[in-house]
Parts: sequence; structure tokens; C-alpha cells
Amino acid sequence: MQFIYVRIEPTLYKMRGDEGLKSHVLIVGSGGAGVRAALEAAKYGDVIITSKSIPGKGGCTPMAEGGYNAVLRSQDSCVLHSEDTFRGGAYLNDPALVEVLVRESPDRLNDLVRWGAVFDFTEEDTVAQRSFGGQRFPRTCYAGDRTGHEVMMTLLEQLRTSDVQVLSEVTVISLLAEENRVTGAYALTRDGNPVTIRADSTVLATGGGSQIYDISTNSATGTGDGYALGYRAGAELIDMEMVQFHPTGAVYPYDARGRLITEAVRGEGGILTNARGERFMERYDPERMELSTRDVVARAIATEVLEGRGTARGGVYLDVTHLPARQIEEKLPVMLEQFLRFGVDIRSEPMEVAPTAHHFMGGLRITPDCTTTVPGLFACGEAAGGLHGANRLGGNALAETQVFGKRAGESAGKSRKRTDSLPRKAIAVQEERLSAYRSGIENPVKIRRDLRLAMWEGAGIFRTAPELETTLEKVDALAARPLKAYAVSTLAECCTVENMCLVASLVVRSALLRTESRGAHVRTDIKQPWDAATSPFGHTYMSVKRAGIERSGCADAAD
Amino acid sequence: MPQIKVKIYRFDPSKDTEGTLREYTVDVADGARVLHVLHAVHEQDPDLAYRYCCGTGQCGSCALQVNGVPVLACFHEATDGMVLRPLNLPVQKDLVVDMGPALASIASLVPGPGRDLPRKREIDAIKPLRSCIECLACVSICPAMEVAEFTGPTAMRQEMRLALDPRDTRDRIPQAIQEGLFTCTTCQYCWKVCPKDIQIPGKAIEKLRAIANRQGLTLPRHQEIAQIIRETGRSVPRTQPTFLEQVGGTIEPYGEVKATVGFFVGCMYNLRLPRTALDALEVLRRNGVRLIIPPEQICCGSPLIRTGQVAAIPEIQEKNIRAFVSRGVDTVLTMCAGCGSTLKNDYRTPFRVVDINELLCSIGIEMPDILPVRAAYHDPCHLLRGQGIRDQPRQILGTVVNEVVELPVKCCGAGGGTRSGMPQVSHALAGKKAEEISKTGVDVVVTSCPFCEFHIREHSDRPVQNITSILLEGYRAKDARCSKEN
Ligand SMILES: Cc1cc2nc3c(=O)[nH]c(=O)nc-3n(C[C@H](O)[C@H](O)[C@H](O)COP(=O)(O)OP(=O)(O)OC[C@H]3O[C@@H](n4cnc5c(N)ncnc54)[C@H](O)[C@@H]3O)c2cc1C
Ligand code: SF4
Ligand code: SF4
Repeated sequence: MQFIYVRIEPTLYKMRGDEGLKSHVLIVGSGGAGVRAALEAAKYGDVIITSKSIPGKGGCTPMAEGGYNAVLRSQDSCVLHSEDTFRGGAYLNDPALVEVLVRESPDRLNDLVRWGAVFDFTEEDTVAQRSFGGQRFPRTCYAGDRTGHEVMMTLLEQLRTSDVQVLSEVTVISLLAEENRVTGAYALTRDGNPVTIRADSTVLATGGGSQIYDISTNSATGTGDGYALGYRAGAELIDMEMVQFHPTGAVYPYDARGRLITEAVRGEGGILTNARGERFMERYDPERMELSTRDVVARAIATEVLEGRGTARGGVYLDVTHLPARQIEEKLPVMLEQFLRFGVDIRSEPMEVAPTAHHFMGGLRITPDCTTTVPGLFACGEAAGGLHGANRLGGNALAETQVFGKRAGESAGKSRKRTDSLPRKAIAVQEERLSAYRSGIENPVKIRRDLRLAMWEGAGIFRTAPELETTLEKVDALAARPLKAYAVSTLAECCTVENMCLVASLVVRSALLRTESRGAHVRTDIKQPWDAATSPFGHTYMSVKRAGIERSGCADAAD
Repeated sequence: MPQIKVKIYRFDPSKDTEGTLREYTVDVADGARVLHVLHAVHEQDPDLAYRYCCGTGQCGSCALQVNGVPVLACFHEATDGMVLRPLNLPVQKDLVVDMGPALASIASLVPGPGRDLPRKREIDAIKPLRSCIECLACVSICPAMEVAEFTGPTAMRQEMRLALDPRDTRDRIPQAIQEGLFTCTTCQYCWKVCPKDIQIPGKAIEKLRAIANRQGLTLPRHQEIAQIIRETGRSVPRTQPTFLEQVGGTIEPYGEVKATVGFFVGCMYNLRLPRTALDALEVLRRNGVRLIIPPEQICCGSPLIRTGQVAAIPEIQEKNIRAFVSRGVDTVLTMCAGCGSTLKNDYRTPFRVVDINELLCSIGIEMPDILPVRAAYHDPCHLLRGQGIRDQPRQILGTVVNEVVELPVKCCGAGGGTRSGMPQVSHALAGKKAEEISKTGVDVVVTSCPFCEFHIREHSDRPVQNITSILLEGYRAKDARCSKEN
């Protein structure tokens, strides 16, 4: 067996003629979820995995630092893990998905370990676990503070020895659909050459979309493409207003603002103080302090800064200088290295931090088998919604990529083989779309910048209906600007910016629909007599056909 | 907002036959990285191709050369006037290179049923090799890869990582040898450019060679060296009166004592280039250095460590350390770059180790007369990267020649056992070096390592001199002038 590493050259594409590529399963995205899905699907037939980036390099998986949640010890239990997940998620989580996650996460961790993952071990030679926010048991497995990188490298090794055909730097710009069934995807190579890929089933594993915010932890590929692709193909999305703001993003240097400071810093004992030196978490969550859930800590920091107790750069301090230098070097090597590069030695100086857009809890509505509401289309990882409810627990997303990546791969692999012909009409639509960019006028870079600022200002941590309305207007206006592709190689960039505008509008519209504060979604213009556990609301949902908010307990409420 | 001027390599294979540098001026924020400059340029010139993803040094997409040195664009601070080029790999467009083949050559763990999980001990051993982000900075500069069939540093890193893992079912050594394990010159360049500071030569290549040794797969020429060390304590045979036979005990300086050091002479200077060592001795005496020279010192063990023959190393180290400790020495001087690097990095010495260039610069040298020559300075790998000594030899050389000419920083091919074990690789690298030297048209090549000195001399059409020898020449010229003047 051999790693098939395909770069689609124009000639190769031409050689294959109009027919494009064909496989049983097409996986879009090569993060943790995508590669796990590809490995599983390969058991059932031929698989193509395509990725905007070089496989494994794009997406947020290789950036994940803190860890992977799994119940491994007898003192811990799946019930406890699921209770923590619901409580963290403000009871908006889809119970069937939570059940699957907590039950299968340990097995998927074991897959990784069998394949060679180098997690940190205890003195007793077992996988070590540490405390993460909002959890009553230290159940977060880790590889220093480069856990996601470890997961990704392990998966890549297996991918390289599999029969999966890898399309590197090939960006899907549209799903191909026929009679309401997804039959593949239309994509562009790095040079801007089109590629069609037909498949019996297609899995979206495109990750999240926090790049629609001015300040974000996400990889450059975190532009929410999967949400836009799925939405346009008719799939239903849920809870798109649920954007997690991570409490601790870097504030300096300006151009690298938002860069994640892992929760493991607080897990290891890091302390938050404001510019006056007060340990302010005492006022927001005296019990859990710094290890409270992310939504609480993010709001606490934002409040401190808004009320004038922040640093000159608009942040607060996160301090580990009281910890032994050894502990910092061993447990937080990436943090130490990153800050040293920016001139701060975290062993002797505090870090400066502020909230940053981090994770989309919402996404395509899926069943535990990862089917979406459109036949032929599956979703997993951050592209899917429902598991984390209104707020994700640290460490649950990496577990999600593995648990649901495998399930998506299996479901897609087991699906029926079909003999669809090339959907020429859908292709023609895409060709037209691309040619329109030639006559556009707006630099996509500028639209992108304006969009991100608008979203940060009007749909951030604290939200009100009037601000959301204004933001929606801004977003719609930006979305209406005709984008210009200055070179063939920037066609994909235009599509991406278009996706970002669409995703932003989904977020804002959903935020307007949810007339309550819940988890990560805070409406300061609404006073509500209920708390999360007694909320009358369920998921918000949004598709080309319908949009609304479910009432608790009646999942299928019509608009 | 700082304004930054930057030159960027542009190449479009569909239009251009060769790349050109184009200049841009952009505004960026304080503390901006190279990547942020690229974003700003991209806004002006949307056709610019460059890769990036995570922006935080974790995905390895954005490596490129800044002023000739491979770095991650997202980490490296932008400076005014910088020149950006792609990594030295096949260019696809502008700053984007083809990473595919190198990535595909990185081996995978082959799991099997019933394999044990690693112990914590093993995990801890694997970890330092595991943080590779596959940026290919190391691959882009490896000299051995340019002249030999060698899969390169990060592939070797991965083979070692797998060799340490009980979950892997393959014997990694034959594979590694086939992939060119013995072609590496241990030049350390890969380590120095690695954004994750992975010490590939020491932690992977030498360790793989050590396992190969236990499996009886050491190259015959390397075994011969081990045998002569076993028999004589020295890595080269005696063909002439040695340095240590000519001098020993305590050597006093001519004037006031500025420093007292133990002198570790090393096999090459002791046996093959004793003249050069005597020149150095003279220079040291003129500059106030008192030398204590224990006659029982032996080979530092470098040829064994570099080739993975490490069984006798503890004994060798003990013997050398004792030779100096028993004389109450607190500083040991080396003049061989390889010995110096070995004593500093592979030993745990109770004394300080200094290189001769370091010592001379720190005490301040007597000024020589300037010789009417243009000299190229060749950086020995084990001095520049093994010991971080760059400026001192240039300073010294600057006092004694008309002009110091820089050479591309590249291994001459003498190290890591390649000269004996893989002569064709070693020869090819020296050939390239010789070409670079000829291009400069200098009168003399100066270096500070006996291996480099010997090896380059064999290949270059220019004379090669040790730095202390040329300094001594400057002193002699001065003496001659003074005696004439008197
Ligand atoms: C900095 C950071 C730290 C984190 N730390 C943790 C942690 O410690 N624990 C935890 O549980 N979670 C953590 N998370 C969250 C977690 O990393 C992500 O939710 C998870 O990795 C998402 O995985 P994924 O496979 O769904 O998507 P990703 O890993 O984001 O991968 C998406 C893939 O899709 C590709 N793609 C996108 N669009 C297209 C397109 N149009 N065409 C083709 N390909 C496309 C991308 O190139 C990429 O390969 C962290 C997130 C970030 C940003
Ligand atoms: S030490 Fe030098 S020759 Fe050896 S792998 Fe590294 S760069 Fe290549
Ligand atoms: S070893 Fe270092 S330089 Fe080489 S690819 Fe890995 S991270 Fe990059």
C-alpha cells in the first residue's frame, strides 16, 4: 500500500475529461473528523478526501491544544460525563448525540492509541488525564498542549498507508445535487482549475466558521464553508447563533490577536487578575473560579474590560508565574514557546488575554449516524450541530471528531452504490458563478475585513435585537457586493468570502430568533424568568425552506 | 504603524522561465510577523501565492526563507528590507513549494495485534521527536539530500520515533539505512532551522545509527575507526611525531598570564596536523594563555558517537574528564570544532569548555600585521551550529587579512563519518564547496576545524589555513617588520 498523494494538475484534469473524478465516498475536509471518516469509509469502498489545505494542515484539529475527553477511570462514569456536557451546554444538547459521544469516546481514544498516538502517560503507564473547565472529574487526555496535533499526526500516518485518494489543496465550492440528493461536489484546485467529484455519499467535515469574527482562534480555513455548502444544498442547520467565545485569546501582537491561550493554562493552575490585581472570578463564579465554563469566564473578562478594569490593550492578566518553571515547560511547552517568540516569558511574566471567537456549537442537523436532512449528505465534527448545545466543554470537540468521524465514515461507506450521471446543470450554474467573478468590482479581502468587524461589533459576546438587526443589514449589504477575482487563483477566495457572508447572516438571523440568553448566546435586551434547565426553547433551525425556534420537547415544531 | 519594505520572489511557471524579486511597501501593526506582511502584500497584489493556515506555528504550512534562512512566516518577526523566497524545494508558484513528495516519504506506524502499549519511559523518549509540524524547513536545507539518495532529516526523525515505539511492528533500521541513514554529515543545520527545536542529528540520526550498531549494521569503515580507538585511544594512526609527544605538562605564556586552561588537543591535531596545533600553541603563548596539557587525554569519542558506536563512550568520557579534573583545571580549551562540540554537548563536564576563538576574543588578542590577502572564511558545522560560534573567528580574521569574504553557509561534507563511510557523498559536497570557493577568487580559505581544513584542502584549488596559523603569520610579519625597523 502506498500513500496516494494527488495534486490535480490541469493536464490531469483534462485527461480525465468532462467526467471528473468518481468514488463511492467523498470526504470534504481533512481535519480530525474528515480523516477519521475517510479511514472508516475506506473499509467499504473507494474514498476520495479533498481538502482546502495540504491534508492535516488546515482546520483547527492540529491547533487544538488542551485535550480529549474520555471516561477511562472507574471513579468516573459516562453518566457523569454526560451530565457535565448537558450542564455545560445549558441543556440545549441533543441527548442522542451526547449519549453516543460519552459512550464511544473511550473506544475512539483507544483507536488512536493503537495507531501510535503519543498521549502523556502517568507514572503507572496509563493515559494521563487533567482537569478542564466545567467537569467534575479530570477526564481530559492530552499530549502536552499539542493534543490536536498529536491526534492529527496519528491519523495522517494511517491515511498515508491507506488506499484513500487524497486531493490536496482542492477547495469544494459547491455540492452537486440532483432531485434533492447530494451526488458529489464541485471544486477548484489551488490554481483555480475546476474539478468535479461524483460520489454515492458525501461527508462534510469542513470544521467551524469562527473566522467570520474579527478576533478568532481559528485556522484560516475556519470560514464555515460546510455550513454554506450544506445550506445551499437544502440541508437544515441548527443553533447557528451558538458561537463560543473562548475567554483567553492573545491581545498582542495586534495582527496575531485572538490566538488561543489554551484552557490548559487555567487547568494547570493559572490565575486571572484585572488591571487592579483583583482575582475577579471571585465575583462571577466563586466556586469554580478560573475553571468555570467558558461562557462564564469569557463574559467575566469582557465585563471587566468593559467596566474599565482591563489593561491598556483591552485585556486582563492570566498568570502562571507561581507555578514551578518545570511544570510550565513540561505541560505548556507550546504556550511557553509562542509567548517567548513574542517577547514574553510566561515563567516570570503574566500573559495578557481577552475573549476570542472560538467554536461553532451549531451546524448541520445530524442524527447519531451523521445523516443530514438531505439524502446522500453526511456531516461530522464541527460542521455538525447539536452535540454541544449552547456551550461546548473543552475537550469534547476532539472527542467529537473521532466519535462522529468514524460514524459518518461508516454510514457513508455502507450507503448504496449508485450510478448517477454527471449533473451538468449544477455544473453549469457553478461555471456561471465563477465567470461572474471576472466582472466583479470588490476586493474580497476588503469585504472579508468589513464583515469580520461588523460581526465582532454587532453579534459578539453581548447581543441585542437592535444591534443584531443593524448587523444583519450590514452583512446583507456586504453579501450583495459583486466580488472580483483578480486572478484565477483567487476564484476560491471569492467563494470563501461569499460563504462567510452567508454564514454570518445565518448566525445573526438565528441570534434574533433566540429570544433568551442561553449558554454562549447572551441577549442583554431580554429579561427571562427561566434558567437554562427550564427554558421553553429548543434548537433554532434554518434551511432554505424554513427557519424558526423549537419549543422544548417538541423537536419538530413547524415554523 | 510601521511601514515595511519587502522584496518577494515571484515565479509563475505558466509564464516565467525564472523567478524575479519584486519590491512592495506595506503598513503593518507593531510586532507584525512575516505572514502579516504577506497578507498586506496580497491585498495589493492578489495574485501573490503563499501558504498559511493556523497562524500559530502548529500546522507547518508557511515555512519560507527570510534573508536566506528558513523560518515560519507566522512566527518570524517582520523586518524592514527583508527578502522573502520560497524554501529550497521545487517551486509551484511564488512562495509555494511542492511539499508532496517529502511529506509522502515520512513513514507511518504499522500497528499489529497484541502489541504492548508504550511505558511512560518510552513515551517520554518519543515526545521530543513528536512535535514535528512537517514544515520541511529542515528538508529544504539538508546538504546530504542535495548530493545523495537520502529521504532527509524529518523522515529520519520519524524512523527513530517509530523505532522507539513498541506498537510499531516494523524493524526500522534496514529501512532507515536504505533511506540514507549514513549519508548525514551531522551538520546540525536541520536542528538549527527547526521551529520546534528538534535535535534530529543527536536524537534521531545518531540514535538510529546506535541501534544499527547493536544489530551489527555499522559500516565496515566505521568499525575500523572504532577498532583503532579501542587499540590506541586515538581515531587516526600515528605517522609522525605527535603533538603530545612534542609538548606536555604546563606551558607558560611569554608575558603576563591572562588565563589558565587545560588543553584538549584532539586526534586530528595531535596526529595528523601537529604543526597547526603548534602554531596555535604559539598564538596562545603570545596572548597570555597558560596551558596545562595532560598527556593521558585520548580521543573525545566523537567519531564513535556520530556513527552510533557508543558502547565505550562512558569509559572514554570518564578518562578524559579525569585527566583534567586531576590537574585542578576549571576551563578546558579545544581548538577542534568537533571535539569542542562533543565536550560541550555530549559530555557532562565539571569544567567549562571553551573554543579557541571564543577564548582569544574574550581575553583580547595582540594585533598582528595585516597580510595582503583576501580570505574566505568557512564556518565549520560543529563550531557554528554545534557551539554557536560565528562572530569570533570573523573578528580574529579581520585583524590579519585585507578582506574577509563570506561563503554560503554549507557543510563541506567531512563530518558525521561520511568522509570514511560514504566517500562519494562527502566528495560531492566538498566539490560544491570548492566551486563556491573558486567563484569568490580568494587567495586563501580559512577555517577552524581540522576535518574541514583537511577535506577542503583535498578538493579546493585554493590553499586552506587554520585561523591560528594565519594569525601567527600575521604576528611573524609584524615581528619581521619590527626587527627591520629596529
Ligand atoms: C486553537 C484551537 C484550540 C482548540 N483546542 C481544543 C481542545 O483542546 N480540545 C477540543 O476538544 N477541542 C479543541 N478545539 C476545537 C477543535 O479543535 C475543533 O472543533 C475540531 O478540531 C474540529 O475538527 P474538524 O475535523 O471538524 O474540522 P477541522 O479540523 O477544522 O478541519 C476542517 C477541514 O476542512 C477543510 N475545509 C474547509 N473548507 C473546505 C472546503 N470548502 N473544501 C475543502 N476542504 C475544506 C479544511 O482544510 C480542514 O482540513 C480547539 C480549536 C481551536 C481553534
Ligand atoms: S545534520 Fe545536516 S546532513 Fe544530517 S540530516 Fe541534518 S541537515 Fe541533513
Ligand atoms: S523536524 Fe522541524 S524543521 Fe523539520 S519538518 Fe519537522 S518541524 Fe519542520
